[in-house]
Amino acid sequence: MRKSWLRVLGVTTAVILTVVIGALSQVPYEPDRRDDAVIRLAWRVRGTRVEECRRLTEEELARKPAHMRQEVECDGRILPYRLLVSIDDSTVVDRVVRPAGAREDRPLYVFHEQTVLPGEREVTVRFELEREAEPGTASDTARASTADDTPSVLELNVRLALGPKEVALVTYDGEQRQLVVKGYGTP
Amino acid sequence: MLGLSNRFARMGRAVLTPADAFMNRLYGWRFNPLYHSGALVVALLVVVLLTGVYLLLFYRLGSPYASVANLTQQTWTGSWVRSLHRYASDAAVVAVLVHAFRMFVQGRSWGPRALAWITGLILLFVLMVCGWTGYVMVWDTQGLVLAREGARFLDALPFFGEPISRTFVGERPLPSAFFFLNLFLHVALPIGMGVMLWLHVSRVARAALWPPRGLTWATLGLLTLLSVLWPAGIGPEADLFRGAEHAPFDLFYSFWLPLVKPLPAGVVWAVVLGVSAVVLTVPLWARPRAQRVPAPSAVDQRLCTGCRQCYLDCPYEAISMVPRVDGRAEVVARVDPALCVSCGICAGSCAPMGVGPPERTGRDQLTAIKQFVTAHRPGSQDVVVVACNRGAGGVAARATVDGSPVFGWNCAGSVHTSVVEYLVRSGVAGVLVVACPVRDCWNREGPKWLEQRMYHDREAELKERVDRRRVRLRYASEGERETVRAELHVFREDLTKLKGPTPEPDIELDLECDPVPDEEAVA
Repeated sequence: MRKSWLRVLGVTTAVILTVVIGALSQVPYEPDRRDDAVIRLAWRVRGTRVEECRRLTEEELARKPAHMRQEVECDGRILPYRLLVSIDDSTVVDRVVRPAGAREDRPLYVFHEQTVLPGEREVTVRFELEREAEPGTASDTARASTADDTPSVLELNVRLALGPKEVALVTYDGEQRQLVVKGYGTP
Repeated sequence: MLGLSNRFARMGRAVLTPADAFMNRLYGWRFNPLYHSGALVVALLVVVLLTGVYLLLFYRLGSPYASVANLTQQTWTGSWVRSLHRYASDAAVVAVLVHAFRMFVQGRSWGPRALAWITGLILLFVLMVCGWTGYVMVWDTQGLVLAREGARFLDALPFFGEPISRTFVGERPLPSAFFFLNLFLHVALPIGMGVMLWLHVSRVARAALWPPRGLTWATLGLLTLLSVLWPAGIGPEADLFRGAEHAPFDLFYSFWLPLVKPLPAGVVWAVVLGVSAVVLTVPLWARPRAQRVPAPSAVDQRLCTGCRQCYLDCPYEAISMVPRVDGRAEVVARVDPALCVSCGICAGSCAPMGVGPPERTGRDQLTAIKQFVTAHRPGSQDVVVVACNRGAGGVAARATVDGSPVFGWNCAGSVHTSVVEYLVRSGVAGVLVVACPVRDCWNREGPKWLEQRMYHDREAELKERVDRRRVRLRYASEGERETVRAELHVFREDLTKLKGPTPEPDIELDLECDPVPDEEAVA
């Protein structure tokens, strides 16, 4: 092949490779292909903390270093809640939300995204303290204390009108002490 | 595992060999971008760094999207700089992948090169994270999707007390600390890359960190042209309350999104860790079986004159000069087997032929060439082709090429000039040495030193008494057999203009040292 043709081919190849880089750098992509709307449940509450306390015996106290001799030892945890979500009278979520942390002493986090067809939706959310795990059952010295004023029951019943790809956020408002809706679909 | 690795490497070479040959034809081996992929990464990262500093002046943490969108609208002062920043980082990913692929298929990933392999992979990972944070900085649709996916992966780890994903649910306004942290990572990680790059090249001498000027300017020019003519766009602003719309995504940094989006984070981590383990352990499973690992070079102290040439030429800094105790010279060469890749370059650079891998020293080469001449009896009309086993159009594996006998050797760069001298003085018409192109040398600097020994009197030089008209050095990659044949043809034509050669019956070569001691003495 003649040198001039090779040069032309060389330049053409370089230009093509450059254009390919440009093209691959901005490929049209739609991460959420469906036009569904989303009801997003996201909140954090500190929940109800319970402590189970026990008075140590004289022998147990004697075994401890002098500066660690506390007569009462407490083990605390946060109580779980049950999350119930129904949309248009159909239950879509029914699960227990356990506190975070290996010792279950961290706050409760709720994060759930429910895709729904666009349109008007009747949404009911109930976040309720798990009764069977209430304090005072494990020990006669147990006592309960609340870390904040999270109500034992949070409930929201709302009608949302959502368009395609719109997200309605159901979250907890600490000041109003109730579940509220943000984003799209708010009445 | 080794069999699988070899199969992959063979398949890779089936792609790389014709690609190299094609690029050599278009741009010549001096400017073949495939040969300079590693150096191109550095040049591209410098472009990214410079354009990044400029962009940083206009970036606002309080309004990230607006500041980038504003830049994008400034055709002459912002848009093309931002586009160049982006395209150069994209091209850097391509160059890194080409470089890693090249090293793997050429078997340059194990032994003393393992450090370069592993640090190279870490550099690639850091580059990807840098790109990730860069796109989050823009805070368009792509940025939000990348941020959310990143948070989803991090939340799967048991390290964070509070789920990071909560940041992007819209429950509260995005804290500016998030953008600050992102910006900090985007700026700090390249500093870490600098340190890692130093480690990456720490085991090679004279690391080639910059591509040839012509290639650098051509690359920069093309990317700048692309940036001006086709500036990178920006997607719609991130909206926490709306599903991700159709938007331009950078495939170089977001190629994994469609693959991992439907998968649980745990599965993604498992896949990422699995793939990482496989590629990070390449130095283990690509390593040949113990008996096939070439032995490192050794120094025959009786022959070493302490000239330092092997120490200067070694491409891997595996040779040091240490004081000697026998009173002959001040210093003697010593090879560190842990650093030696057994390239044999030192064998070619040692005038008294006292160093080199076992069976590949200059003296071993002389023995081999004498046997070759005895076996093939090349005549006064014959051109002998001394070919590199790795490249040279693959002719080293053949007995002849177009009727010329072929003397194949492990690396043309390790060929001692005495071999060439012996052939010429034995009465052949000419000697055509075919080495790999300089930047394609599997052993790094072999052809460069060979050329200097043959034509520029570098130590272990081709002696003046050798008729240079009968010696020619040419370069050809593995896929360029036609180049070898064409060069051979031209050389033959040129040789016809010369008088016939005069063979010497008893060739005395200047070994520049005492004769090799007999085995018992060496022992």
